Amino acid sequence: MSSSSLLELRGISKTFASTTALSTMDLTIERGSFVSIVGPSGCGKSTLFNVLSGLIQPDGGSINLEGRDVIGATGHVGYMLQKDLLVPWRTVLGNITLGARLKGKVTAEDRDQAKGFAEKYGLGDFLNHYPSALSGGMRQRVALMRTLATNHQLLLLDEPFGALDAQTRFEMQQWLLQVWRDTQRTVLFITHDVDEAVFLSDRILVMSPRPGRVVDDLAVNLPRPRTLETLVSPAFTEIKSKVLHQLHHERAL
Amino acid sequence: MTKKKLLLNIFGPILSVVVLIGIWQAIVVWGNVAPYIAPKPWDAINAVTSNWSTLAPLTWWTIKETVYGYLVGALLGAFLGVVLNKIPLMQRVLYPLLILTQAIPIIALAPPLVMILGFGVMPKVVIVAWIVFFPVTVSVLDGLNHVDKDLMTLAKVFGANSLRRFVVLEMPAAVTQLFSGLKIGATYAVTGAIIGELAASSGSSLALYQRSASGSLDAAGVYGTTLIMTAIGIVWFLLVVGAEYIATPWQRRSTARQWRRGAKPVVTNN
Repeated sequence: MSSSSLLELRGISKTFASTTALSTMDLTIERGSFVSIVGPSGCGKSTLFNVLSGLIQPDGGSINLEGRDVIGATGHVGYMLQKDLLVPWRTVLGNITLGARLKGKVTAEDRDQAKGFAEKYGLGDFLNHYPSALSGGMRQRVALMRTLATNHQLLLLDEPFGALDAQTRFEMQQWLLQVWRDTQRTVLFITHDVDEAVFLSDRILVMSPRPGRVVDDLAVNLPRPRTLETLVSPAFTEIKSKVLHQLHHERAL
Repeated sequence: MTKKKLLLNIFGPILSVVVLIGIWQAIVVWGNVAPYIAPKPWDAINAVTSNWSTLAPLTWWTIKETVYGYLVGALLGAFLGVVLNKIPLMQRVLYPLLILTQAIPIIALAPPLVMILGFGVMPKVVIVAWIVFFPVTVSVLDGLNHVDKDLMTLAKVFGANSLRRFVVLEMPAAVTQLFSGLKIGATYAVTGAIIGELAASSGSSLALYQRSASGSLDAAGVYGTTLIMTAIGIVWFLLVVGAEYIATPWQRRSTARQWRRGAKPVVTNN
C-alpha cells in the first residue's frame, strides 16, 4: 500500500442469488481525493458503498482502509444519502452530534466541534433550530456536517444533492468543494449527474451493469478552485463528453 | 404559537362548554322539564357542592383507580408494543391474545375479577389497565414499525449497536405515536373505573352513589355525579395532552427551549 493511498480494494466481488452485483474489483483511492462514481442503476455502485460501509459482506477480496482490514465491520466511514435523515426531535446541534450520541455520550468536545463546523459553514444561527424550520438545502448542509463530525477520513456520499433544485444544487456543490478543501477529507461520490461529477471530481469511475464493474477511470484535470467559468470551459465539455460516451457506449453499439 | 392562537386555544373550549350549558338550561326551563327528569345545570352543580363531604372521598377513590389503572395500562402497553416489535415471533403468538382481551365485554370481566381480587381498588385498577393498554400497544407498535429504515441503516454505518439505535432513534421516533395511544386511553380510563365500581363495589363508590340517587329520583344528584366523572376524564386527558406538549417541543416550535444545555439564544421569525 503506497503512502498516499487511503483505500485499497483487492478482488472484491458480490453476487446476489444469480446476479453479479459486483464482479471482481480492484480499486485504489488516494488520500484527499474527490472521486465520483457514475453509472446506470444496477451497475453495483450502491453495492460498492454497502460493502465499503460494512453493511454487507463481500463474497471475497480485501478492503484496506488506512492500513486496517475493514471487511464486515462498521463505524469507519462517514455516510450520507439523498434523504437528509435528520431526526426531527434533535436540534441542528443535536443532529450534527448524532454520530457521537450513537457511539455513547456527546462530550463537550463533540459539541464544540459541531458548533465550529456549523459556524464556519453558514449554520451558526441555526444551532438551536429543529430541522422542520430549515429549507432543503440547509438540511443537506446539516446532514453533511453530521457526516463530517463522525471524524472519518473517508466520506461516502450517495447522491446527496439529488433531491435539490438546480440552483440550490450548484450552491451546494461549491459549498461541498469548500468544505472538502478545508477539511482535507477523501470523498467517494455517487451521482447520476455527469455535470456534477465533472465539476466536483479529481477522478470519475464509470460503472456498467451485468455484471457490475468499473469500465472507465477518467482523471479530471480541471484547475481548482472551480467556479461558474469551469462549467463553460472547453476542457469541462471535453471530459463531460468522454464520460457521456463511456456511459452510453454499450447502447450506442 | 402566537398570542392570538393561544387565546383562541384557551377561550374556544371554554366558550363551547358555556354554550352547551346554556342550551341545557334553555331546554330545562323553556321545555318545562320536570326536576326529577332533568335538573337545571346549576342544581346539578349544587347537588355536588352541597354533598361534597360525602362525594369528596368517593371522587378521590375514582381518581386513584383511574390514575393507577392508567399508569399500569400505559406502562404495560408500551412494554408490549416494544416486545411485539423486537420479537417478530411474539407478533404471531401474542397478537391474537391481545385481540381476545379486547373482545371480552368489559362488564363481563368484573365478576371473575371480584372473585380473584375482592372488592377493593385492585379489580378497578385491572379493568382500567385492561382498557388502556391496548391502544397504547397498538400505537407504540405502529410507531416502531414505521421508523425510517434508512435512518437505522445510517446508524449501523455509524457503528451504533442495537441498544443505542433503540434508545437514541427508535424510542423518540415512536413518541408521537405513543401519545396518540395515550390520549385514546385517557378518554377511556375513567369509564373503566366506573364500570369497575358498578360491577365490583361492596360499599360506597361514585357509581353506587349515582345508582342510589337514581333510585330516589334525585336527578340533580345523578347529573352532578356524571359531572364529576366527566371532569375526572377531562382533567386526565388534559394532563396527558400537557405531557405531550412538554415531551414533543419539536412539533410546535422551530427552536429548542433556551434553558437547554448547549443552547444559545437565537432570534426566530416564526
